[in-house]
Amino acid sequence: MGQERLTIINTIRALRFAADEMTQQALADRVGVSRQTINAIEAAKYSPSLEVAFRIARAFGKRIDEVFECLPRPR
Amino acid sequence: MSASFEEKSVWVQLIAMTVALGVYFFIAGRMLASGVHSVGAFAALFMIAVVFMVVLMVIAYVVAALTTKVEGRDERDRLIAWKAEHHSAWLTAVGMLGAVACMAAGVNNVWTANLLLLSLAVAEILGFVLRIVYYRRGV
Repeated sequence: MGQERLTIINTIRALRFAADEMTQQALADRVGVSRQTINAIEAAKYSPSLEVAFRIARAFGKRIDEVFECLPRPR
Repeated sequence: MSASFEEKSVWVQLIAMTVALGVYFFIAGRMLASGVHSVGAFAALFMIAVVFMVVLMVIAYVVAALTTKVEGRDERDRLIAWKAEHHSAWLTAVGMLGAVACMAAGVNNVWTANLLLLSLAVAEILGFVLRIVYYRRGV
């Protein structure tokens, strides 16, 4: 339908370091996914479901829009 | 990025299936070329290939489990599996139609069964390859 393509970026890496250098595994355990999934989300290779996005935000005590941001995908 | 247990499982299935069914189709092709058309001979060969594949998988799963933290499937694993199946299932449909066409044309049943088996195997292998691509490249 000609809609612009979007990409979801996040600040998880920065938040992890701000949270006493929380490891990917520690975050994964709190969220209930694998460490590799956290890695893929951080690298913007996978866009999580809304539920997992909320769980990640909650793990850092942040709102979801403080963790994830949606931008137009560069062509 | 090290592979998760789920990704390693996909590698295990891909390698075991490719090796076992590759050997099966190599031998079956030679049998067909030499005029063997006994269903029993092919069934026995297939059973041996399946047992060989299971043994390979068990050994490789044990190695994967010993070297990786075993975690259940999460939503990314499920999405990758679904997307890979979505893009590989058409091969099974092509094989089915090919088998129906063979039956209608009166082709020997052994050829028809092997064509069907080949399409199922290739569809599965394509599915595993796609899953690995999605794990590595992103989904």
